[in-house]
Amino acid sequence: MSGLTTRDARETEAVGEAVAGQLRVGDLVVLTGDLGAGKTTFVKGLARGLGVKEAVTSPTFTIVQHYAGRLPLAHVDVYRLERIQELHDLGFEELLEHNVVVVEWGEAIARVLPPDRVQVRLAMTDAGDDERKIEIVGVGPAWSTRAAGLHEALAALRSA
Amino acid sequence: MLLLGIDTATRRVGVIVANERGLLARVELGGTADAGPPRHAETLAPAIAWCCEQCGIHPSQLSAVAVGIGPGMFTGLRVGVTTAKLLAQSLRIPMIPLPSLDLLAYPLRYTHRLVVATIDARRNELYWAIYRPVPGGVQRVSDYELGSPDDLVAEIQARGEDALVCGDGALRFDSAFAPLGRRVELSGPAHASPSLTALADLALARYEREHFCTPDEVLPMYLRRSDAELEWDRKGA
Repeated sequence: MSGLTTRDARETEAVGEAVAGQLRVGDLVVLTGDLGAGKTTFVKGLARGLGVKEAVTSPTFTIVQHYAGRLPLAHVDVYRLERIQELHDLGFEELLEHNVVVVEWGEAIARVLPPDRVQVRLAMTDAGDDERKIEIVGVGPAWSTRAAGLHEALAALRSA
Repeated sequence: MLLLGIDTATRRVGVIVANERGLLARVELGGTADAGPPRHAETLAPAIAWCCEQCGIHPSQLSAVAVGIGPGMFTGLRVGVTTAKLLAQSLRIPMIPLPSLDLLAYPLRYTHRLVVATIDARRNELYWAIYRPVPGGVQRVSDYELGSPDDLVAEIQARGEDALVCGDGALRFDSAFAPLGRRVELSGPAHASPSLTALADLALARYEREHFCTPDEVLPMYLRRSDAELEWDRKGA
């Protein structure tokens, strides 16, 4: 697991961008954190890292936002969903075939998520308004071999 | 009588224009050979427009819209069924919804074996239905099912009859059928997608019997059901 502390939104975005460099089509990133913890900020950086030029907006009301980049990105927010059925009705399983998929509030759908994923937990700290604690861990068989690259990329960021 | 037909239950986008004598135009785009992202949303409307143009007809001349309602690929069904409903609604013409598995099975009606139609359901599952050929068509002898390839193999085994398996589900999981040996034949890429001639045949027969419905009665067939609620522990925090 990698743990980082970022001082402002710009640094949180940089972490997202570093994670993006390790991703491939079919990868799933699950974001956990309270409202205001910086999930969308993190995704903005991640999208930039995937070569997305468009501005990233919160998918809370659209539930899924698509972005074209070096790799296609599907940004999903399950906050407004109540039933797993709604996720099936969105074609969630199909999104993973051709996109990098980022899910906000993903812990609520843990039971239907595939085993391989990057879990990102964002939390506010006591220190200041914009400081965030970010924990990143690669889960599942695929990430047991790929985790080293992910943590190296994050370590490089920490020392930069 | 002019019929527009659409099937998007698989990676293939299929559009036909037909009259009571048969097909006037047919467009098929994508399919199992195309490894890229699905493009139903980009290609369906232009395909419909092209078919109409090349037949020299204006959409206002259409008499009915037939649509494959799955079960199948959600991304495709959303586009196909919505487009079909919008057209029928705005043109004020009836609709003929047809299960896409029926469209797969119908062209194989000349065999003496059971016909097993399959569609890839993702998550290592497939949709299937089993049919018995009868004079003039096929008769479904199972429910529309969702399950693993092993579930289907067990089902075919339990019936103890020779079977012909078609659809992109069978293509994706072909090795799963090996235990059935020569009892089962896989029909290959030619029968990977719901048949558009079947769509025309079955829809025209229904149209003649005025066996059709209004757009608001048409829904995609989703077999993946879950009553589970999301596991919210911190919502509203």
